[in-house]
Amino acid sequence: MSIILSTSHLSKTFQGKDVVTDVSMRVSQGQIYGFLGPNGAGKTTIMKMLLNLVKPTSGDIEIFGEPIKQSSIEYLKRIGSIIEYPVFYDKLTALENLELHCAYMGFYNKKAIKEALELVHLTNVDHKAVREFSLGMKQRLGIARAIITKPELLILDEPINGLDPVGMKDMRNIFGMLSKEYGMTLLISSHLLGEVEMIADTIGIIKSGRLIQEIPMDTIKGQNTDYVELKTPDYKKATFILENKLHITNFKVMDNSVIRIYETSIAQSDISKMLIMNDIAIESINKKTASLEEYFLTQIEEVENYA
Amino acid sequence: MLNLMKLEMKKNKFGWYFKGVVIANFFILLFMCLIPYVESIDEGPMFSGVTDALSVVGTFVRVTFVIFASVLYAKLIIDEYKSNTISVLFTYPIQRKKIILAKILLITGMTFIVIVGSNVFVSGAFIMFNHYINLFPNDLSNKWLLPALVNIVVQSIAATGMSLICIYFGMRKKSVPTTIVSSLLIISLVNSNNGNFSISNIIAIPLTLAVIGVGIAYFTFRNIDRVDIV
Repeated sequence: MSIILSTSHLSKTFQGKDVVTDVSMRVSQGQIYGFLGPNGAGKTTIMKMLLNLVKPTSGDIEIFGEPIKQSSIEYLKRIGSIIEYPVFYDKLTALENLELHCAYMGFYNKKAIKEALELVHLTNVDHKAVREFSLGMKQRLGIARAIITKPELLILDEPINGLDPVGMKDMRNIFGMLSKEYGMTLLISSHLLGEVEMIADTIGIIKSGRLIQEIPMDTIKGQNTDYVELKTPDYKKATFILENKLHITNFKVMDNSVIRIYETSIAQSDISKMLIMNDIAIESINKKTASLEEYFLTQIEEVENYA
Repeated sequence: MLNLMKLEMKKNKFGWYFKGVVIANFFILLFMCLIPYVESIDEGPMFSGVTDALSVVGTFVRVTFVIFASVLYAKLIIDEYKSNTISVLFTYPIQRKKIILAKILLITGMTFIVIVGSNVFVSGAFIMFNHYINLFPNDLSNKWLLPALVNIVVQSIAATGMSLICIYFGMRKKSVPTTIVSSLLIISLVNSNNGNFSISNIIAIPLTLAVIGVGIAYFTFRNIDRVDIV
């Protein structure tokens, strides 16, 4: 898969304060790249640099195989974006806003506006002034505006903010469809880990302006993420049994009653059988999968400990 | 460029502006007809002749529409920054300079046309009324007409250029009130009438200010392509 967007040692300093430091990221064509990080981590600044709204202090950006310079504008024709929150000319209607967008982008296909509005499930509102819209509706309209010209690359900053659960699901489906059917590449930032987990192919974790890790979702899913969680009032005896009878060493006592067993070669039924035979009460025993959230928190914590 | 200007017109719908222009024209005319009545109580006639009357009309029209222009700058430029729509506008594949220049050309063009047009309308109507109400001695020769028209055009160019100065103050603070107030201060300073003397009558002064206005606008947006939009 070819690389559609890459940065190398990208940094930005605002008034002597480092906001983005040495970020080198690579986004492959057709991929959904989830940009994860706490608020204020520098996600928006990076996205603004990609769109040339903010100029890098140092480092390079390459999009569609071309280096981005201060004066580059042509590449913007091939990008759709929402930055921070969707802003519109509030007094104009949804339709007028989209028509303006198309005119500025040099895109003339009247049908596309209607299609985009239908795609985000915003119908019968095209003649309503945008200032009467709720945040969720604005978010949908923002996405409609970003995808109207069928861009090759979509840069969406917190696109699911302000949506209700149904809206979030809709957006997930739309993003999936844009990526699969239209072959678009999506760069989506969010602090909602669960959402990113469901759609992203690759995630980039960013903290305090640094890209801590860039990793395919498949790798995270394959990394020791399955475990058996055992809850017992008698954890000392239980750990003794696990170690000496079942010869399991790969486990962790979370607090004084919960034990996580990462050894997957021994069946859950065998573990419970052995514990019961040794008279150890089991409050619960479940097979679990570590979520992206846990992975993310571990990564962030590691960086904090390191710092 | 024309296309960008058309888009600005579509975006902003100038109906309110032209309504304002019509209303302001009638008020200026009304005011012109009222001043001589108020003034004549104290001392003789207000206007010595048609040239004198037209100079007062010119002052009112310029002051009014330079302030109107500052409202347009506030709305078309400063407001885009305030409402952050500028961050959408600058992600289009169009040079930032071109976008801003289109806005400035549209506003200066409108301002110039409106100042000339209003001058002609109010002056014409006032001279016509004068035939009936005799506020100043009628001059039936047409000798004054050509110099008056030239004066209107030159003063309008100067006023339009001067209207640009407020952009500098408005952009520094990204503030709508600053834009309008700075324009109000500049134009009232230049056009204030002190014992029948106003510095706008020495045409070199408003013309110099106009050149300064153009320079300031250039200076304000010179680096726009390199500036961070945060």
